[in-house]
Amino acid sequence: MGKKGFKYILLIVILGVFLQFFTNGCNDDNDIVEIPKDLPGNNEKSNIKNREVVEQIVNSFPSPVEVAAIMKDMEVPFSKRYLADPSIIDNYDINNKKAFGLGILSADLGYLNVYERTTLIIEYLTAIKRLADDLRVGHFFDFQSFKRLATNNDNLDSLVFLSVNSFSNMNQHLQDNARGNLSLLMVTGVWLEGLYLMTQVYKEHPNEKLKELIGDQKIIFTILYQGLKLYSDDEYFKKILEEFKKINKIYSQITITYEKVEPTYKTTQSNIPVYEQQERSVINVREQQLKDLTKITSQIRNKLINL
Amino acid sequence: MKKIILLTSLLSGVLLIFTSYKLHAQCKQQMVYACATKGKSIYLRDFNTKLRSGKPNERTARWTVVLNKDAHYRFNLCTPEGYEDKVIMTLYDSQHPEKLNPYGSTYDMKTGKHSDSFDFICRKSGMYYVSIRLKEGVKVKKTCAVGILSFVGSTH
Repeated sequence: MGKKGFKYILLIVILGVFLQFFTNGCNDDNDIVEIPKDLPGNNEKSNIKNREVVEQIVNSFPSPVEVAAIMKDMEVPFSKRYLADPSIIDNYDINNKKAFGLGILSADLGYLNVYERTTLIIEYLTAIKRLADDLRVGHFFDFQSFKRLATNNDNLDSLVFLSVNSFSNMNQHLQDNARGNLSLLMVTGVWLEGLYLMTQVYKEHPNEKLKELIGDQKIIFTILYQGLKLYSDDEYFKKILEEFKKINKIYSQITITYEKVEPTYKTTQSNIPVYEQQERSVINVREQQLKDLTKITSQIRNKLINL
Repeated sequence: MKKIILLTSLLSGVLLIFTSYKLHAQCKQQMVYACATKGKSIYLRDFNTKLRSGKPNERTARWTVVLNKDAHYRFNLCTPEGYEDKVIMTLYDSQHPEKLNPYGSTYDMKTGKHSDSFDFICRKSGMYYVSIRLKEGVKVKKTCAVGILSFVGSTH
């Protein structure tokens, strides 16, 4: 090979390195793609301060599997009736609806994962993947791995990990690309579906603990409600806020007080230090308030997923 | 031609260093996965960060987290080998400050003992803070740490 030929090869190699960098060189396990600035979800009015508030709200929110995990721990039997129909996504024509639907279906996926209903999972995965692709965050959703794990039905831990991890990566990516409004809609969907699940379960299996848990959602709702108000000039958010006013009206009647308690747990368990809070909240929720909340939540959830 | 090759090589070198820094900024996904799936509790979220001594904001990373009443949570901390006693994960809020009397920590200030996890039984729903920091006086050029929040069960 001549000197000139060597130079050309060297140049090609260097160009290859550049190409690698600009295509996926920055990608670790979390791919980063350029998001065009004119995406519908790119709300110009979301200033830096709002972005920080939303980021804090979204990142602090409970995982899509948490409510399901609590239900299973309470030995509530599985029911497919609580789940949204994944075919609803056919009607979603704007990014806001898609993000909200992604949240609803992610909560349902969490429920299916925790209850190990792997045969139903594929249908939900397919719908979530479609929504994620439309929102240009589909690359965080490893459909093939999901499918393999669900089909093999042998690794619940991995399935839950993949599910929660994909959801948080999608959320983070939206925030990093000034689309925090979509991220907020995703957690709104997760939260509403969680509240719907809890209230529906309570209707069929009423118990004091669940009653308290539903009343206690007032704290999370208040944080979410404030976050949604930051986008009150957006038509879709306006509709959600209009509906959430009804939930707010009920929650404003539910009071929470605090009292000191003595720890009931040992300080150590299996060599893991256990810290128990010395103050507990007391949720003052009446049966009628709960009935109203159950009815309103169901109406709002069904209205919003079909909007 | 020589100048072009030299310039391109220089640029690609700088970019490779930058890329390599990005790649090693946080713990690898394999490490997060291993940490998240090592117990029997249900994985809820992770707190993945890079740490380095130097500027105070590079020694510590903080997150907010909403916890539910009457839930029994587990916090696991995973670090690369050799860093087990150099990194601390803490759960706190404004009433229970991080350095005074936090709710829980992988480092017991009284005994000076480190553990890779601790459990927290939440009695009031609300927003809490999780921090992962380099222990006081520890000097490291660069490392990563990942905290895992998981659900052990209800305490109803």
